[in-house]
Amino acid sequence: MKILLAEDDFASRKFMDKQLSRYGECDVMVDGEEAVDAFMMALEDGEPYDLACLDVMMPVMDGYQVLKAIRDIEAQKGIPKSKRVKVIMTTALNDERNVKMAFELGCEAYAGKPIDVEKFEKVLTKLGLI
Amino acid sequence: MAEEFNTESMLDMFLYESGQLLEKLEGIILEKQDADCFDDADINEIFRVMHTIKGSSGVLMYENITKVTHKLEDVFYYLRESHPDDVPHMELVEKVLAVSDFVTGELDKLKNGDTPDGDEKQLVEDLDEFLGRLKGEIKKQGIEMPQANRHVEPTQFYITPVAGDDSHFYRISIHYRSDTQMSNLRAYSATYALKEVAEDLLYTPDDILSNEASADVIVAEGFHMLLQTKSSKEEVIALIDSSEAEEINFDELSKEEYGRALGEFGREEAEPVAAAPADSKDEKNKEAKKEGPKPGDYVVKTKEAGKGKTLAKNQPKQQSIISVNVEKMDALMDLIGELVIAEAVVLQNPDLKVPGLELSNFQKASGQLSKITTELQEVIMSMRMMPLTNTFQKMRRIVFDVSRKLGKDIELEVVGENTEVDKNIIEHITDPLMHLVRNSVDHGIEEDAADRTAVGKPAKGKITLEAKNEGGKVYISVKDDGKGLNKDKLYQKALEKGLIENKPINEFTDKEIFRFITLPGFSTKEEVTEYSGRGVGMDVVVKNIQSISGRLDISSVEFEGSEMTLVIPLTLAIINGIVVQVGNSPFVIETASIKEFVRVGEDSLISEPSGEEYIVLRGECYPFIRLNERYDLPDSNDKIEEGIIVVLEHEGSQVCVLIDKLLQEQEIVVKPIPPYVRKVKGLSGCTQLGDGSIALILDIAGLLMHDGERR
Repeated sequence: MKILLAEDDFASRKFMDKQLSRYGECDVMVDGEEAVDAFMMALEDGEPYDLACLDVMMPVMDGYQVLKAIRDIEAQKGIPKSKRVKVIMTTALNDERNVKMAFELGCEAYAGKPIDVEKFEKVLTKLGLI
Repeated sequence: MAEEFNTESMLDMFLYESGQLLEKLEGIILEKQDADCFDDADINEIFRVMHTIKGSSGVLMYENITKVTHKLEDVFYYLRESHPDDVPHMELVEKVLAVSDFVTGELDKLKNGDTPDGDEKQLVEDLDEFLGRLKGEIKKQGIEMPQANRHVEPTQFYITPVAGDDSHFYRISIHYRSDTQMSNLRAYSATYALKEVAEDLLYTPDDILSNEASADVIVAEGFHMLLQTKSSKEEVIALIDSSEAEEINFDELSKEEYGRALGEFGREEAEPVAAAPADSKDEKNKEAKKEGPKPGDYVVKTKEAGKGKTLAKNQPKQQSIISVNVEKMDALMDLIGELVIAEAVVLQNPDLKVPGLELSNFQKASGQLSKITTELQEVIMSMRMMPLTNTFQKMRRIVFDVSRKLGKDIELEVVGENTEVDKNIIEHITDPLMHLVRNSVDHGIEEDAADRTAVGKPAKGKITLEAKNEGGKVYISVKDDGKGLNKDKLYQKALEKGLIENKPINEFTDKEIFRFITLPGFSTKEEVTEYSGRGVGMDVVVKNIQSISGRLDISSVEFEGSEMTLVIPLTLAIINGIVVQVGNSPFVIETASIKEFVRVGEDSLISEPSGEEYIVLRGECYPFIRLNERYDLPDSNDKIEEGIIVVLEHEGSQVCVLIDKLLQEQEIVVKPIPPYVRKVKGLSGCTQLGDGSIALILDIAGLLMHDGERR
């Protein structure tokens, strides 16, 4: 499985990288723009990501913008819903409004930080990734 | 759900919403418990409640809750689609309540920060079995089987963060010795060490690394930090390098103080990071609610030197309802009380009594002021008022549960559940009321329905819960039509247990005998049941009620039933009173307890040889108390014609007191008599009057009791 990880905070990045690397190849980005670039690149190479974990508070573009950009690109390219990349937002912003907005923007899961690894894995199973 | 709660985190939202839904559910169930079946609207509503809880618990991945609610949803799906007859209604009610209890239990675990790990298997099996029978019934009745309820698996998930300890907030100030070299670097190493454990860290001066001059500032003014962390004080102290430090101040702050301190440190408490300009083609943004967060709101700006990353958590929001800490309300209440006193001090200031003053403008202004303070009082009181609805709802459940367990058929009637009472009082009466209701169900209503029909009562027991608001008091009564209290039995029992003096039964009034049941250690029931009868109930009830200056009235007729009435003051702090004078001392009498003022002549007075005196008014004889003698007040008049007689009433008994003159009617802020003053019978508190003097508040119950004892 190909994984895109966008996270600007060093400690979280390291932690997530370690967790996610167990499931597949993990590309690590430090800001939102880089994440979108990486997503585009992978798509053009014909090796799209299966999973994207996006932090919300990041430099240049925040996680919601990245999520929206990814869904827009996918819509433009006519990628069917079932083939879309699965997106998990990872953030400490657990306001109900933020969560709702993320769901409306089309993410698959919203993980509050600190991340509950057990549940995280359960979600990956439910999403059919592992 | 209500807009005002949308700042809560996902989990809080779930807990709140599910709690509300379950409450509603219980309401429906208990209302319809005695009906033959649920009507369509109820079935739809229960279905919807289960569906909602199932959905949200699914998103939050609480699987046991999801499974249980899903099963019950299925049951109600079949009921909704097929309308089968002969549904075992009672069993269905029990099933719904079982599910509701299970979910409530799990929600409670979540509230306490535990994992909801209740085992749902038994419940799901029961429901499955019930559903199986239901389906069989549907088939038998030849109704077409609806398509199976399609269960859509949630496709979006919310992973709740790992629950942790609550954050602590600290303010740390380090003062270095004046000869410390490079104090800025030392300060930096302190911040560096704290970053390990910090959730948020802010310090001043904030340019310690880039500006060498900050070293001087630190030496001169000290280095101040604000820290939000989950670590304890000891752990934090251990992290700070204390060499060279002359003094380290360590304060733990509350969350609010921390917020304020953040402001002092030059950061706004709620500072959203400036949004990058959103994509202009972005049409969705425009549709989005104006005040809602938008993509792009959380772009992190490049960090400024020395500043920690800012959390954009608490964006300012528009809210129409805010929740306020009760302590703040109490403080406001106290302040308004003080204001009322201060107002009286100004308006009745002795300086104004100088003859010949032109006061018409002052009077106008003071009238306006009085109006506003009165309104202010009313507003604060209404802010603290809450209807008894929720409390009564709980009682419904208790009657249902206990009567089922004991196998008694009991109907509960609720009257006046919208009566509003001060919030403090509600908290104090819930437990006592629960005891009373349980007692009525357990001891009040007859064990055997045949005992009821034998004396001509309907087989079904009835308990009436009634609340009303009368004359500044709230009356809450629990009435049952059960066997009532047997006076002889109560007397025997109290005597056996040595709780009363050895006097023949006819020397006690009915009320006194009924009151035996409130004595500690009294229980007439031979066996102790699960619900009551340990003999601790009633005295605790009375104690709780007395702590909010209320009382418990008991009346009962054997074989017809008993009535327990809680009489509670509507509010505790401000009363309407009449200020009177005896000698040189002012007294306050609560307006509600005054029956009349009269002037009588010497001929109405009856003096007994023992020194007791009575006043005869219109052929009725009242005990008479001279306040001046009672409290040894000099310079007062002794002649009955020159004074005024006030007739006071309390719980049906009357007493007359002699006073010198009436001063005024006034809103009185009740203050307790300070503990260093010996407790005096007949006085319940004190207050400050307009001229600054202290007036004592007469306690009618105390006067009556004292009078009785003297005799």
